[in-house]
Amino acid sequence: MGLINLSSPHHHSLSQTSRLMALVLLATLPGLAAQSYFYGYGTLINLVWASFLALGFEALILYLRGRPIMPYLTDGSALVTAFLLALALPPFSPWWLTLVAVSFSIIFAKHLYGGLGSNPFNPAMVGYALCLISFPVAMTQWAGTEMTMTFGQQWQWFWLESVTGGIDAYTSATALDIMRHTKGLTLSEVASSNPQLALGLTASMWVNIAYLLGGLVLLGFKVFTWHAPVAMLASLGFCAGLFHMGEPDLYPSASQHLLTGATMLSAFFIVTDPVSGATSRKGKLVFGIGVGILVFIIRSYGSYPDAFAFAILLMNLSAPLIDTYTKPKAYGHQSKAPRSQGRP
Amino acid sequence: MTKLWDFHGGVHPIQNKDQSNQLPINTMPLPKQLILPLSQHIGNQAKAIVAPGEYVLKGQLIASAQGFISANIHAPSSGFIDAIEERTLPHQSALTGECIVINTDGKDQWTKLHPVSNPETVSKQDLLHIIQAAGVTGMGGAGFPSVVKLQSKAKIHTLVINGAECEPYITSDDRLMREYADQIIAGISIAQLLLDQPRCLIGIEDNKPEAIIALNEALSSHTNDKASIEVCVIPTKYPSGGEKQLLEILTGLQVPHGGIPADIGIVCQNVGTVKAIYDAVVLGQPLITRITTVTGKAAKNAGNYEVLIGTQTGDLLDFAQVDMSKTSRLVMGGPMMGFTIQDTQTPLIKSSNCLLAAEDLELAPIADHHSCIRCGLCEVACPAQLLPQQLFWFAKAEEFEKAQDHNLSDCIECGACAWVCPSQIPLVQYYRFAKGRLKDLASEAHIAELSRVRFENREQRLIDEKLAKEEKRKNRATAAAAAQAAKRAANPSEQDPIAAALARVNAKKQEQEQEPKKQVDSAPKTHEQIYKELKTAAAITRTKLNKTNKALANAVAKDHELAQGLQTTVDELTIKAADAQGKLQAYEAKLGLDPEKEKALLTDVAKANALVRKLEKALATSLDPQEVETQLVIARVSQKTSANALAKHQTNLPSTLLPEQEQ
Repeated sequence: MGLINLSSPHHHSLSQTSRLMALVLLATLPGLAAQSYFYGYGTLINLVWASFLALGFEALILYLRGRPIMPYLTDGSALVTAFLLALALPPFSPWWLTLVAVSFSIIFAKHLYGGLGSNPFNPAMVGYALCLISFPVAMTQWAGTEMTMTFGQQWQWFWLESVTGGIDAYTSATALDIMRHTKGLTLSEVASSNPQLALGLTASMWVNIAYLLGGLVLLGFKVFTWHAPVAMLASLGFCAGLFHMGEPDLYPSASQHLLTGATMLSAFFIVTDPVSGATSRKGKLVFGIGVGILVFIIRSYGSYPDAFAFAILLMNLSAPLIDTYTKPKAYGHQSKAPRSQGRP
Repeated sequence: MTKLWDFHGGVHPIQNKDQSNQLPINTMPLPKQLILPLSQHIGNQAKAIVAPGEYVLKGQLIASAQGFISANIHAPSSGFIDAIEERTLPHQSALTGECIVINTDGKDQWTKLHPVSNPETVSKQDLLHIIQAAGVTGMGGAGFPSVVKLQSKAKIHTLVINGAECEPYITSDDRLMREYADQIIAGISIAQLLLDQPRCLIGIEDNKPEAIIALNEALSSHTNDKASIEVCVIPTKYPSGGEKQLLEILTGLQVPHGGIPADIGIVCQNVGTVKAIYDAVVLGQPLITRITTVTGKAAKNAGNYEVLIGTQTGDLLDFAQVDMSKTSRLVMGGPMMGFTIQDTQTPLIKSSNCLLAAEDLELAPIADHHSCIRCGLCEVACPAQLLPQQLFWFAKAEEFEKAQDHNLSDCIECGACAWVCPSQIPLVQYYRFAKGRLKDLASEAHIAELSRVRFENREQRLIDEKLAKEEKRKNRATAAAAAQAAKRAANPSEQDPIAAALARVNAKKQEQEQEPKKQVDSAPKTHEQIYKELKTAAAITRTKLNKTNKALANAVAKDHELAQGLQTTVDELTIKAADAQGKLQAYEAKLGLDPEKEKALLTDVAKANALVRKLEKALATSLDPQEVETQLVIARVSQKTSANALAKHQTNLPSTLLPEQEQ
């Protein structure tokens, strides 16, 4: 047998991008289950539809770009985008809303920037933000928890956007929305006047706990480091706690902030996106803190149902700058003076 | 128990050490031929001091160190020098280099050795000399001449002995420590003696319990009240055996960027190196053998072999019964940092610790790599605390200066980043490429700088030469002026020639100005007279102008004070000359004269005359008179024609001018 010439190392951990992506997909399952339990079949239908679309668009654009299709299609990155979108979009998303979000994510946010690894923005968040701006009504029709649709009703809604008895019977504003859009009242007044709030908060809390569990599994498998998610949660909790202490009737508490909306989904599945985030660990801390503060500001003073898409996109924008200023000190650059010159 | 520190990053590859560490070290039989590269170490290549055909004894010096950082090379066995020529070196790119080739004679006869049974009785200088003469270099990989480290000028507080052997598969140091523990401890004592008795820490990974026991046993029977020796068991983590990493584990100190361990009071030696120091001093033997691991699933008799330096890899592979049909990747060194070789004649050198003949599925598959997703696993793994993913982007985009800014030069090429990379990117290859390009750029910049300095020096030299010339010329001029002044002083009647010339010119000028007045009252002139006068006036002004010009040039060259005045005269004369010429031409036009045409006709006539004369002469001597005669006839015709043309032209002129036109 002829001997070949190869560069070291000749050994490999045999880790693979596709395996990392598969782990991420698996880790979303607890959250998916919780979301389906509380809000009905909408998320599941969306998930299948989004996955189908994502793989289709990915294959199409890889073909158009003249890239090998199978290696990239099987790396799982398109599926991750599809999952994140499906989980983030409201359960009552009609087919076309998901289509717009997924196609824009895959084609524009990902491949027009050079494909996997080269996109400056998180593709799922770009797709989400586009829909949020373009179709605000559809994006705020969140499922209520008191009455959930049967699979048949959901299926009908998904394609036809009509359902017997009218959509209003099934929708409800999210807890975040209720808390924000009743600014005239104090939070305790809102809570006593709106029985939906307590129910919404409970559902939201369990969904968030489910995502937290999935995230901890990923952390355990070292898919990402703790820096970005912990920094984000800590800064969001800190801001919320600080304002809540000052004006408890105007600002929801830290736990309400941490366990409503897309907080945990974002913290462990979106803020941790390595491609569009900061590079070094110090950078990831800064990135996470930035997202947390922006989320608090947009949630408290903005007019959108949740703040993550914008907060993350804004921080994606700052990631290169953060990288520039958080370069770690390499070995031997730490300190000028050796610390124990006099040791025996 | 010394406190241990941790170093950043690191990975945990499958060890695969039990493939080769089960059996005792086996001595390989004497090979027929040994190939000894003259450069087996860092520093200057050694110089061969034997000639082909010469007989050498085992241990005889055959190539001597050149300069401070270099190492001697000795004959590993007795035999005849076959050749000193270019052979393939153990190198990633299979470079060739000068090698001494010895055909062994089988007698394995030693040269006379000078063992020192008790090193403490010998002066430091002599000990250093013995180690230097024995050609001891680092046995761990880099091959740095050991004696250089042992005469460190800085105060050394800790001697670190590297027995970590963190690379998977390799077990040569493991077996060495198990079987030569006493010699290693004795070697350490010699090194401590040379370094003014620093404490000694032996770092061994915890995956070598037998070696740890063996060394501790050896220590228990060792007595040295001057300096301590301690075996430090460190956690198994690649690359703990990297010099910088091991120092950090054992002392918590980092070698400053661009520095050496001695800068922080530490010297680091490999266990094999201290054993070689022992051999050199106590046995008097130069470094001519080493322990090399042969391993991998293609090796039937995987294990450790004591081989002579210069043994061809093929010989050792055969002896270890490696089935070469099972392997396509022969690695010299370990799987993380070793390099592949293709030529089994490649010799083993002082730093060759392992030959890995792995089956194809044993090592990383040759996979297509995917896009970097900046997952950061490489950053977590990097023991040099770099940002490997950023370095990769920079290397790929050929932004070498940015890579340098991100401390590319601190990369130790351990391969941990590439090992963890889920996209299977051959990161180290990118870094080597970038480092190579940076080196090229630096040397290009150096050459450019040299050229710039040379150019500037040349420019300066030219300016200096010019100034010197000017200076000389000025001196000469001053001397000449002084001589002139002296002469004038001696002979006051003689005037300055320039002043004289100027006076003459002025005199003539006045004369000329008076001339027209003389002619005012003369009789009315004929055309002929006027024409002649005008012609003369033009000629005179031209001549004056020329003369004054010359005088001016002369004055300017001598920097004479009259130059200014002369310049004015020249300007006046130039105008006058142009005026005179203009008047002449105007008069010619008035008379219908055409001096140019007349000149041309005259030339024609003269030419025709000349040709006729020439042909008449030729006719007398020609061998072909007929031909010449024909030409003569033609020439005479043209002579007549031109003469007629001239005559015709002249008859057209005013009669009064006719006499004037005769030449």
